[in-house]
Amino acid sequence: MEQAVLLIIGVLAVASALGVVLMPNAVYSAMMLLLNLLSLAILFLLLHSQFMFAAQLIIYAGAILVLFLFVVTLLNPEGEFIFRDKKRLQRAGAISFGLFLAALLIGAFIAAFGKVQPTFADSSGAAGSYGSVEAFGIALFTQFLLPFELTSLVLLVALIGAVVLGKRK
Amino acid sequence: MSQITFTLLISAVIFSVGAAGVLLRRNPLVQFMSIELMLNAVNLALISFAGSMGTAEGQIFVLMVLTVAAAEAVVGLGIIVGMFRKRNRIDVDDIRSMDG
Repeated sequence: MEQAVLLIIGVLAVASALGVVLMPNAVYSAMMLLLNLLSLAILFLLLHSQFMFAAQLIIYAGAILVLFLFVVTLLNPEGEFIFRDKKRLQRAGAISFGLFLAALLIGAFIAAFGKVQPTFADSSGAAGSYGSVEAFGIALFTQFLLPFELTSLVLLVALIGAVVLGKRK
Repeated sequence: MSQITFTLLISAVIFSVGAAGVLLRRNPLVQFMSIELMLNAVNLALISFAGSMGTAEGQIFVLMVLTVAAAEAVVGLGIIVGMFRKRNRIDVDDIRSMDG
């Protein structure tokens, strides 16, 4: 059952990723991105990361994607049919680079993890507890407290940057 | 094939699709979406590693990636809007200088 769900969601994630790149209209691309984010959130859940499932839905699907949709509908860019325009060299280069990168990464992952049976939580007694809010919060506020505080600086810089960029001259 | 290997392979494919998308498209908005795809693929790989280790540390990295992705989306979309205001069309081939 879990294997079947994993397979379906995996295929959906890859197909929607291809949709983001290939859709001519930017609004459709954003919708495909939403589908991709949702399927990745479900994959997080299948990997027992409940907190990250919620964070993915709230931050990505709730905040970042809405921002994207605002800007796409504000600018209303014209459609772009990548398989009809003249730039053959760019298209061939991009596709072959993508295939090369995919082959490289898949080969590396299979070489590194194909044989090793990871100590995955299904059999142990504490199965799935590492992804709970409790485990996440303990790690975040003890061992990783300084990076967490520095995150606020990143957000402050983004805030100031957005105000400066959005200011009318 | 274990669950972890399968999700790692999915993340590899999504990352490659995103990288090809950045090179293939000339609309900066769609290029940004492709970059988000790549960030998401890395998130999936990190969560898979966290799952294989059985620890919460990998998820902390994912939280950092989420934060940086949000900041990057805000600043990048601000730049795109500014570019549109100046030229009234958006195409990455048009960008030759960074002055305001």
